[in-house]
Amino acid sequence: MMASATRTGWRITVDTGGTFTDIVVADDRNRLTIGKALTTHDRIFKGMHAALDNVAAQLDMPPDELLRAADVLIYGTTRATNAIVTGQIAKTALLTTRGFPDVLVLREGGKLNPHDFSRPYPKPYIPRRHTFPITERINAEGGIVTALDEDGARATLSELKRRGFESIAVALLWSVANPAHELALGGLIEELLPDVPYTLSHQLNPILREYRRASSTAIDASIKPLMQDHLQQMEGDLRAAGFAGEILVSTTIGGCLDIDNVAARPINTVRSGPAMAPVAGRRYGERELAAETVIVVDTGGTTFDVSLVRDGAIVTTQETWIGERFTGHMLGVPAVDARSVGAGGGSIAWLDDARLLRVGPDSAGSAPGPACYGQGGTAATVTDAALLLGYIDPTYFLGGRMTLDPEAAQRAMQAIAEPLGLSIEAAAFSVLAVANETMINAIKEITVSEGVDPREAVVIAGGGAAGLNILQIARELGTRAVLFPGTASVLSASGMQFADIQIEQSLSAPTRSGNFDRTRVNAALDAIGNALREKAAPLLARGLTEGPVTYRVDAHYAAQVWEIDVTLPVSRFIAPADEGALADAFHANHTRIFSVADPASDIEFLNWTGRMSLLLPRHDVVEVTGSRANADSAVKHRDAWFDAERASATAVIRDTTLASLDTITGPAIIEQATTTIVVPPGLVGKVTEAGSFIVEIDHDID
Amino acid sequence: MGKETKPAALSPMLLAVLASRFDGVVREMSNTLLRTARSAVINSARDFSCGITTGNNEMFAAAEGLPVHTFGLHLQTQAMCALHDDIAEGDAFLHNDPYLGNTHAADQTTIVPVFWEGEHLFNVCAKAHQADIGNSLPTTYHAAARDVYEEGALIFPAVRVQRDYTDNDDIIRMCRRRIRVPDQWYGDYLAAMGSARTGERAIHDILKKYGATVVKQFIAEWFDYSEQRMRQGIRTLPDATFSREGFHDPLPPLMPEGIPVRVTIEVNTASAQIRIDLRDNIDCMDNGLNLSQACAINNAVAGVFNCLPADIPRNAGSFRCIDLQLREGSAIGIPTFPHSCSVATTNVSDRLINTIQSAFAQLGDGYGLAEGGIGMGPGISVVSGHDARHGGIPYVNQLILGSGGGPGTRECDGWVMYGIPVTAGVMYRDSVEIDELKYPILVRELALKQDICGAGRNRGAPALEIIYGPRDQPMTVVFAADGQQHPARGVLGGHDGNQGESYRIAADGTETRIPNIGQFEFEPGEWLRGVDCAGGGYGPPHERDPALVLEDVLEGYISVDHAREVYAVVFRGSRDEETLAIDVAATNEQRRTTTS
Repeated sequence: MMASATRTGWRITVDTGGTFTDIVVADDRNRLTIGKALTTHDRIFKGMHAALDNVAAQLDMPPDELLRAADVLIYGTTRATNAIVTGQIAKTALLTTRGFPDVLVLREGGKLNPHDFSRPYPKPYIPRRHTFPITERINAEGGIVTALDEDGARATLSELKRRGFESIAVALLWSVANPAHELALGGLIEELLPDVPYTLSHQLNPILREYRRASSTAIDASIKPLMQDHLQQMEGDLRAAGFAGEILVSTTIGGCLDIDNVAARPINTVRSGPAMAPVAGRRYGERELAAETVIVVDTGGTTFDVSLVRDGAIVTTQETWIGERFTGHMLGVPAVDARSVGAGGGSIAWLDDARLLRVGPDSAGSAPGPACYGQGGTAATVTDAALLLGYIDPTYFLGGRMTLDPEAAQRAMQAIAEPLGLSIEAAAFSVLAVANETMINAIKEITVSEGVDPREAVVIAGGGAAGLNILQIARELGTRAVLFPGTASVLSASGMQFADIQIEQSLSAPTRSGNFDRTRVNAALDAIGNALREKAAPLLARGLTEGPVTYRVDAHYAAQVWEIDVTLPVSRFIAPADEGALADAFHANHTRIFSVADPASDIEFLNWTGRMSLLLPRHDVVEVTGSRANADSAVKHRDAWFDAERASATAVIRDTTLASLDTITGPAIIEQATTTIVVPPGLVGKVTEAGSFIVEIDHDID
Repeated sequence: MGKETKPAALSPMLLAVLASRFDGVVREMSNTLLRTARSAVINSARDFSCGITTGNNEMFAAAEGLPVHTFGLHLQTQAMCALHDDIAEGDAFLHNDPYLGNTHAADQTTIVPVFWEGEHLFNVCAKAHQADIGNSLPTTYHAAARDVYEEGALIFPAVRVQRDYTDNDDIIRMCRRRIRVPDQWYGDYLAAMGSARTGERAIHDILKKYGATVVKQFIAEWFDYSEQRMRQGIRTLPDATFSREGFHDPLPPLMPEGIPVRVTIEVNTASAQIRIDLRDNIDCMDNGLNLSQACAINNAVAGVFNCLPADIPRNAGSFRCIDLQLREGSAIGIPTFPHSCSVATTNVSDRLINTIQSAFAQLGDGYGLAEGGIGMGPGISVVSGHDARHGGIPYVNQLILGSGGGPGTRECDGWVMYGIPVTAGVMYRDSVEIDELKYPILVRELALKQDICGAGRNRGAPALEIIYGPRDQPMTVVFAADGQQHPARGVLGGHDGNQGESYRIAADGTETRIPNIGQFEFEPGEWLRGVDCAGGGYGPPHERDPALVLEDVLEGYISVDHAREVYAVVFRGSRDEETLAIDVAATNEQRRTTTS
């Protein structure tokens, strides 16, 4: 398919969000065009097609021709994430080792505020009444303590069939040390419930820690029926519309995968949108700033997502929560560490009973929305503050699609300003500063936990709202530069343009540095390599190129319990020097993250992971086309506040004139149809050849 | 401080921004400690807290810390300053002395004084429960210790362990000689030091940006703000004076009658003060259950905070509104040396929190809380022995597998992974797989038990039942459980939770009840079974929404019989057939006859 001569090398990437479907189309010369349309939840393809029409119109070509010109389409979906958040999942049974029915109820403990007794305990992802015990037990070394009671298991499965369960998650204790019982149950399910999809924990996510393994297994099984249907429908719609190229789906680890692999492990699509932002950030940072360490922020109306590229690698985690930390559900599988905080334009400002100014966590959302929307909201929000400070043109919000009401914003802000004895503008400025703190803390948490000093990093900013305050935030953090890509408003979809197919496989093979079990580890690495090749085989057969395989291991000092991951310096362990090199890499990583190492201590190596990349045709960062129609070259001025005391006459530049300008000196406001960038006084930005806007921050002057 | 003229008030913006920055410092310290510590009790269970006191030793910030740890940190830095007149930048101190402001000896605290332009402005504290502190028995909770000598802990009365950022190796070597599994201890020492130095660096960043004058002004205003919040909170309560007595279970042979816990509380809304009088309590005991002064303060204050709006900052400012009366020489007050405080942080402390928070329910419906599950039973005991899988190396650590149920509250049911009152849900639990990998034990069962929650309009949370035992080598288990006689009590018509239990299961399967306190040896083939305590209920059970009762039955937290007998809710249909539904007429009839 890939090699077909009729293809012309175009690539389409699609990110379907809750509100908008974003599309980026790269032509055969890597010129990018952006399209947007409202997401159509009843049939996703309708919105996708509308966005394609939008792009096609900009390129002045029929949409069908656009589809036929493309040989790769990468599809990003929030379908799985939404299903988990809203609980619209299959009727799923969880099979656990007898005696441990509460693994999903108990989670891993933890609570944010010890004195808060007003919040109910969260419900488990799979109700207890859908959790069934299986008589069996394996120990830490994989020995069988209690044999699998096959008759009992058959009886349980028959009950599941009778009660109409639609999917089955199997998560037994120590299945990572010995998968025999899970495999036997898988066989019984295929025999007794041949049409019911199931997930075995040791196959999906072979890590230690029963909660997170069971949680990922339950999540995966619960979305299998709906994701398999959804992907099938999407494929059918695309084929019917004339697309004949490769359909790929973006994944949680910032790569993409073919439909068959994703349908078999749909958990890989959860939060794939936020995972794609740093893929774009990494490429822009590398190409435009020669930066290896990049903080990537993507701000929407209600959330602020932050992720990190460290030494050229996107930082991943196995502790992604869907929902709030401690009370949500843990994804448990490796995922791009993209942290969401509830801080967006809708965050509400309020005064507590001792008149401390607070912003959030309550949000006005989009309905009623900020007071200035004029839809009945009366509380002052961050957007109201930005409007009152002159950062937003009330007649050009969302490119003029909405007119804002400054008087409503003023009335709302009065409730903050008056008790504090502040002017309206000083109150608005304070609201924005306090809102910034939430984002500063979110960035600090992710950088600190990775041992990264924000002062050594650059920021890549995307999303509709990031430009309002990211330069102020970057100043506070001491980062050296901020870059707004030309694709800032569609950062995830643009990340897919730079994504490769990534296949991962893990295996648990615990061993210690003092008594390194070379045979066991090499066998695990062999098994991982074989599994990767098996998953890749259909793709290779279709003409894709096999890229490098990298291996990593989760490890900790013998007495620690939380792992850090280390990239293997060798692909197999032949001589003691190989193990020494691995230990050195671990100590170095531990020092980097935690400032200390303990070379005298044994290291425990637990989960081994291989990642194979199948390279898609290279796409470079090039100029963005299509967003600069209707040139309006007049630079205007208006008052904007950059401190609480006085307004500054501020240049207002419509994006349509941006490419013609070399530098922009603050105070200035750049207004684009989908983004606004506020450049405070003292900062100077410039437009790059690729159409990005860069602001370098000299902190010695600050 | 205080010598300079008072600068103008900070802007509302700066007040909010600096509050966020200092919270961020504590979170950064906590994250560092959590990720680098060695022992499971710290890094898996999160039995640690980080905090900041001011240069003149007022409690300043402690985000996300355990309440039992943090409120007394200022006593520890006060002791540091009283004992040393040459404190300098680059110093660090070890402090685990319960007679000088620490909670109990196992809570080793690393204190770093933070200087700016030569002035001692803050202290950062990283307090972590050690896996071992050199006690005469392999437990950090030595209930039977007649005095500090029998307890045997290595005690550091604010001892300087670093000067010029360099370890005093003498002290490190002493610890390595006297603390079991010294590498584990040393790793935890490094983690706590790393955490404190991280805090020092982060505070320097704030001072560099804002300067000492602004930061000092912030301290003063932040305390005033916190006091104001506290006053507002207290004014939501009615004026009243009330007393309550709680009981710690008998501990044969130490305290065959148990330990009474008596509190008298006076709420005065005119002065916005809460006075807590603990002086009417027994004298110090010849065992390890005496409270340290820090624990008496911490837990009395925690009980009050549990009954007020949850977002009131907990620092010296809000503490101004609490007048705490303690008696020297009291087991629940200020202990006299050498009485042991080895078990100060849990058992009697748990009872103190429970007694205070449930006393507030005497103010009427809508106030206070039920009592939370108490315990320290088999599921959270200290296990030790040798691990045949790794050449017989020794192991000792506290398991954090069990959990009591949280109290019913005016708003909702109890929190399930509550632990005990002093941890209140903040601690993590161990992974069974990680524990089995690290220690040669096998867990046979870990499940929430049915029909044990204290019933109520809002019920207590259920507690865990655990069965575990050694694999190939004998195992020593030490615990001192409360709640096997006196359960967590319900309030305002809510019912009590269950009584905890502990059993030895012999190789042939026969069960024998074992005492709630002691050191027990288990041979391979034997099992230990423990049942923790559920939380008490809030309000009468027959006022509980029948839909919630149905949900509890469906989820298996209570049985159909229990629902009918205790909640007067009647069902038809079958749970297993997924047809269970409320029989409205029968329920109404049942509720009418039960309440009349």
